[in-house]
Amino acid sequence: MLRNLSCVAVVCTFAVMGCDDKDGATGSKQVVIYTSVDDVFARPIAQRFEQETGIKVLLVPDTEETKSAGLLNRLIAEKNRPQADVFWSGDPVRAAILKTKGVSTPYPSSKAEGLPTRFSDPEGYWTGFSARARVLIYNRNLVPEGSVPKSIMDLLDSRFQGKACIANPLFGTTSMHAAALFAVLGESKAKEFFEGFTRNGGTILSSNGEVRRRVAAGEFAVGITDTDDANVARLEGKPVGIVYPDQDGMGTLIIPNCAVLIAGGPNPEAGRRFIDYLLEPKTERALAESDAAQMPLRSGVEVSGSVKRIGQLKSMAVDYAALGQLLDGLSKGYLKEWVDRNRR
Amino acid sequence: MISCVILERPGKWRTVGVAVLLLFAMLPAIPLLHHLLTSPSSVAPIMSGAYASALRHSLLLGGGVAAISFLVGLPLGVLAALYEFPARKILLALATLPLLVPSFLWTIGWSSLAARLGPVATNTISGFSGCVLVFSSGAIPIALLTSYAACMTLSGSQLDAARLAGADRCVFKNALRHATAPTLLAAWLGGILTLSDPGPGQILALSTAASELLTTFSAQYDFSLAARQCLILTAIVLALAAPLAYFAAPCIAREILARQSATRERIRKPKTAILISGAIALFILVGVVAPIVGLVTPIAHGNDISSALSELLRTATNTLVYAAGAGATAVIFGMFLAVFVGRNSRLRTACLGVSLTLFALPPAFLAIGIVRLAAEAPSWADPVLRSRLTVCLTLALRFFPVAAVLALRSWGSTSPSWALVGGLHGVSLPTYLRRVAFPLAVPAAGIGMLVVALLATADIGTVLLLHPPGQDSFPLAIFTVMANARESFVASLCLVYILAAGGFLTLVWMVAGGSR
Repeated sequence: MLRNLSCVAVVCTFAVMGCDDKDGATGSKQVVIYTSVDDVFARPIAQRFEQETGIKVLLVPDTEETKSAGLLNRLIAEKNRPQADVFWSGDPVRAAILKTKGVSTPYPSSKAEGLPTRFSDPEGYWTGFSARARVLIYNRNLVPEGSVPKSIMDLLDSRFQGKACIANPLFGTTSMHAAALFAVLGESKAKEFFEGFTRNGGTILSSNGEVRRRVAAGEFAVGITDTDDANVARLEGKPVGIVYPDQDGMGTLIIPNCAVLIAGGPNPEAGRRFIDYLLEPKTERALAESDAAQMPLRSGVEVSGSVKRIGQLKSMAVDYAALGQLLDGLSKGYLKEWVDRNRR
Repeated sequence: MISCVILERPGKWRTVGVAVLLLFAMLPAIPLLHHLLTSPSSVAPIMSGAYASALRHSLLLGGGVAAISFLVGLPLGVLAALYEFPARKILLALATLPLLVPSFLWTIGWSSLAARLGPVATNTISGFSGCVLVFSSGAIPIALLTSYAACMTLSGSQLDAARLAGADRCVFKNALRHATAPTLLAAWLGGILTLSDPGPGQILALSTAASELLTTFSAQYDFSLAARQCLILTAIVLALAAPLAYFAAPCIAREILARQSATRERIRKPKTAILISGAIALFILVGVVAPIVGLVTPIAHGNDISSALSELLRTATNTLVYAAGAGATAVIFGMFLAVFVGRNSRLRTACLGVSLTLFALPPAFLAIGIVRLAAEAPSWADPVLRSRLTVCLTLALRFFPVAAVLALRSWGSTSPSWALVGGLHGVSLPTYLRRVAFPLAVPAAGIGMLVVALLATADIGTVLLLHPPGQDSFPLAIFTVMANARESFVASLCLVYILAAGGFLTLVWMVAGGSR
């Protein structure tokens, strides 16, 4: 009896795995979205798009948190016959890499009106919208009011000796931040920052999420992370404070989301409609209202008190399109060597 | 009519069959090899500095994990197979739970628990010691199950003979000897598996070969360099696996008596039973309960069980299909391999060597190889190269070494005289397979399918890169929300997953393992 059941189960399994959902990867009323934005923030937007347009969204999310080989590699590998129509990137560096590799195609959307052009590719390969920022997160129980850091350079101060942390600068938004520091400060000053950080007993953690968790838990007094991470800690009632750093100096690094149309995707028209939807003010508002608390790049979008407006901040003056190339060199050179030296 | 004697006949067909199967198993690695052959850069610079140090860490880690899982898994598996003890099914189900949980989740559980306990715990858990702890939790169940499956092939007659020769102690000693070779191989596989998993090393701050590969691949986007680093890792594993395969190959095929005159009964001894229950419970406490506490503690700050349940419902079918598909496919490959190998010791050595080496290949490379292949292939190949079948096949090929070891053991333990006598009496091959070979292979096949299914469920990299859009699995869903979702939601997802997995495993042990 058991043997017969096993045989039936095996036959059924093979039958099911061979029969994919016919809504699969191609078809006119659907769109395939690869995204490096966290699923919890991307899925509600995709569902609203489905409800409003009737176009089914097949979402393939990824996360930079656990350092997977990731969707970017999948997109590059699929270049000759892509499955994706759109890549919704959490930062412009990955979008720039896709442009360099010839995976994306220009799409100057009419819905991009009102979005500052400095957050988008000048040739239209990616368009920036709602943004996160790189912020300092500190534990209020460990950092008294008068000692709150104001600049990332404060991490080199003796009051944070052995109490500061950052994520691995070879990955995710920290890598982009590292490249931005090299672009803005210049090579020698940027290296001084990294060397000073480790001299002061700073620790490299695996991800921004870990920075959030360990600062919130009081293992570290201060760290650098993204606004969405910091906001989640705040919403969880953790004893953390958030500082937008260097408002009197080089400014805070702003990290816009980027909408990228994939060249040769199976549903280009639906892909364009999805990008249009992403770039609309209501999407910026929805992302601002989510736990990610993303900053709208448009000035007219209403936001709650906890979300900063882009105009309220002094943002770091970087050429986003050039950061990808700079990061490429740094990842194979100084940053890799620095991480090797300072991690066990 | 083909006679069942063919199963015991030598011939070139065995070598051809083994070669075809092993080549098929290596199929996903072909794009990687292609890159290696076409890459113009030299291999020399790779072995300097960081990668050499990472390799050293990895080899020490793999060796440590293999040793621990062998030393713990072998006696536990033998005792669990020979003796009856309280709460047997539930304890064995819980002991196999770490196989179902992706290593990064387990690491985060440990890390969270340590953060709550203070800096001393954090320091203890970080680095090498933490990696050994996390990986051992996953490798011990593989060794335990293999040792258990090996003992299940012992006949009642053999156990009775051992008992007559020297009481239960002699039974245990003989069973231990019987299970040593396959368990050693399984423990070795568990150790090798650590070489391709970057998660714990990344989170616990230990530079390993896998994390170096990941950096090259995902941060530097240098596929050629990563491929060459991968080649070095694979070559080292092959060099280490070859002597083991050579020595283990003859031991793995100890034939049982041709005539079975007694059914095997488990020994009932109250004191020993309590000892076994205690030992398995201790492993569960350290290897399962502790990280789970770390994972689910945030649930105290608010639970999102209903949202977690809806995620489970959304992804349950795919999760089961990927697991069962990979398990079934791997077992079928393993069984075919065992039939082709037969009693040829040289072929068995080759199979073991290749199987051990295949395990060292990072899953992301194999998956990316398939993605590239699919992108080059015409669209009519999509049902094979871009479907759930692709995910199942790739997972099966990745974990098939486990099924292969168990199948080789199971087939090697049968008596050649059965097929010869069957042939003499005109028994056809299908009848022999259905009536004799298949029933004898069921325990090994069942456990092989279970272990591969569990390992496949916990493999995030392959599913992430290969799943058709919209058809993700539950562990992948956890993986993609865990970065920025509230801790209580992630904890709810983890709790639901662990409860579902624990319930499923208990069910499996009750239905399939209850009488065995």
